[in-house]
Amino acid sequence: MWSIKPGLINKFGFCKSLGWNGERRMKEDSQSVNQQNAFEKVVEFVDERVGLKTIQAKMLNEPIPGGSRWAYAFGSVLLFIFIVQVVTGILLMFYYVPSTDHAYASTQYIIHEVDYGWFLLSYHFWGSSAMVVMVFAHMSQVFLWGAYKKPRELVWLVGLALFGIVMGFGFTGYLLPWDQRAYWATVVGVEIMDKTPLIGDFLARFLKGGPTPGQMTLSRFFVIHVMVLPAALAGLAGLHIFLFRKAGPAGPFRGTPEEIKAKTDYFFPRQIWKDIVAMATVFLIICSLAFIEPVVLLEQATPDPGDYHPEPEWYFLFLFQLLRLKIFGGEFGQFLGAMAIPGAFMAFLAALPFLDTNSERNIFKRPLALIGWTVVMVFILVFTVSAIINREFLD
Amino acid sequence: MSNTKLGLLVFWPTFWTGFPIKMVFALLLLAAHMHPWEGTGLYLLLLVSIPVDIWALGLCARTVFIDRLKVDPQPGLGLNLWIRWAAFSAVALPIITIVVSMVTETAKSVVASIVESIKENILTIPVAEQISLELVMWGSVASVALILCLIGWLYGLGWFAQPFVKNAKPVIGTTADQANFWDSLRIPADQPLLLTAFTGMGVVLVFIFWVLLPQTTPHPHEEYVYTFEKKEVVIVEPKKILKEAEQVLANAELVVIKLQDEKSGDAEASSETSGKASDLSPEAKQEK
Repeated sequence: MWSIKPGLINKFGFCKSLGWNGERRMKEDSQSVNQQNAFEKVVEFVDERVGLKTIQAKMLNEPIPGGSRWAYAFGSVLLFIFIVQVVTGILLMFYYVPSTDHAYASTQYIIHEVDYGWFLLSYHFWGSSAMVVMVFAHMSQVFLWGAYKKPRELVWLVGLALFGIVMGFGFTGYLLPWDQRAYWATVVGVEIMDKTPLIGDFLARFLKGGPTPGQMTLSRFFVIHVMVLPAALAGLAGLHIFLFRKAGPAGPFRGTPEEIKAKTDYFFPRQIWKDIVAMATVFLIICSLAFIEPVVLLEQATPDPGDYHPEPEWYFLFLFQLLRLKIFGGEFGQFLGAMAIPGAFMAFLAALPFLDTNSERNIFKRPLALIGWTVVMVFILVFTVSAIINREFLD
Repeated sequence: MSNTKLGLLVFWPTFWTGFPIKMVFALLLLAAHMHPWEGTGLYLLLLVSIPVDIWALGLCARTVFIDRLKVDPQPGLGLNLWIRWAAFSAVALPIITIVVSMVTETAKSVVASIVESIKENILTIPVAEQISLELVMWGSVASVALILCLIGWLYGLGWFAQPFVKNAKPVIGTTADQANFWDSLRIPADQPLLLTAFTGMGVVLVFIFWVLLPQTTPHPHEEYVYTFEKKEVVIVEPKKILKEAEQVLANAELVVIKLQDEKSGDAEASSETSGKASDLSPEAKQEK
């Protein structure tokens, strides 16, 4: 749809800055070196030593086959949400105390007494949900576009690992406020994890650090949440982007090679503009949710649930509701519903690029993929809504 | 091109073009303690949405006309089409809402009675299974009703857009020329001016948001005791407490002695007047 024109490029004025006309530019530079202002001199100084302009050209001058699209913005939005989560997380850590005696009180202090603390915490809370939604959207886009196929198998595999890390962030962060909701969501989550064969018992004991969730659990979840997972995510996200750049964007699944080539666009400025607008929109939505539904804690965590009906965070609700079905009752049924089926599904996703070797990427010519994706989405939606209705029924 | 497809092709980008701008105002309203979905907040948001939608509709419709239909519409497309769409939607959307609500409620009650009769006559259904089964059954009916209504609405939008297609003049030139033509419509002539205006607007909006943003939570926990409200800690002075305790004990001892004396006196008196209970003192009565 989009095509970049030479005149248009000059309008944006980035041909020169990217060093496309290398020799001519060098001559111009040598002539105008005495006319540089202080800022340009600093840029020149850094550029000579680190190759700033080459990096800039590498980053911005990436061809996008078939032109820029809104559908390609999900990955950039995810990176943006992660960065803001890191910033808000660091600000929250200035006040949060990861001990069972003070976690609840310090979170209440953040909400009630730290300047704008309630907004920071609520933004961080909704940011985590936005990240999960964006991961689903990004993975769906890659799946529907057939962008996991050769030569992008490794990009897909690293993406799956990143999906696991995002879910881990949600799971570990949920415990930190140390209220009833946090405590019992963790109890439910660890019980599900306990059903993993061979390593389940070890994992559950390692995370809990004792027979019931307590100080050891909180310390471990805190360290995993603020140190292990961010480091893993940053590293794997870097690898994901590197592999993506190495393989190149897949482009649209429709159109002849000539059409796609004719419409090829560059990352700057069109895709960057779309990414920025998408980031701003997601930021506005998260801020609005922080206002509409700010974080309000329940009572401080106790080993007695009282009137509270334990349940995990909303993105695990479909799995939780699945385990309520009679077919998944009993020890074996629980293992089947909690571990075997989700595990098999994840293994299938990991093997997908190697199983689906057909080069056809058009989703309308891959009926099995389209039906499969629709069934999974409807399944998640039906069981999530069922869990919400079930909650009302229990209340 | 069919009416439904034309309606969808114009409506979809129009919605997303206007959405971020409306979100900015919605957020500012929220920061100013006004709900954008009710009362004054809703009226203000609708007021702001009108010019935004006219602009977005004009831009997106013209792009679709040139790119997909190879025709350039007459000037004023955004306003003229918006008036028709707004009038049509003002009638159609409430009807759709009522129809879908009625279908949903009917489907819910019918499904509930079917499931109840199954439970009574055929087999017992556990709660979790019943919830999901009912949801799938009435959800399918409601979804079909919603999709049909939306297709009808999009058909109407396309129907209102068709006269503008017929009155538009064809775009001549090669495909590259045509693409260049509509592409250039979306690129402002003065790029630095646009960027400066955007940045300036962003800074102003952030400043307004920061001013409006409540410093402390608008939803305080009922039981939370603020630091500045906490009572002063009572300083314990052991010597003073011991002295006071000794004084209390001394007083108590005196009272006990007095009571014992009175008791012994009363005992003597009672031996003299045995059987005359009416002569007893109140204290002795109580003791008795």
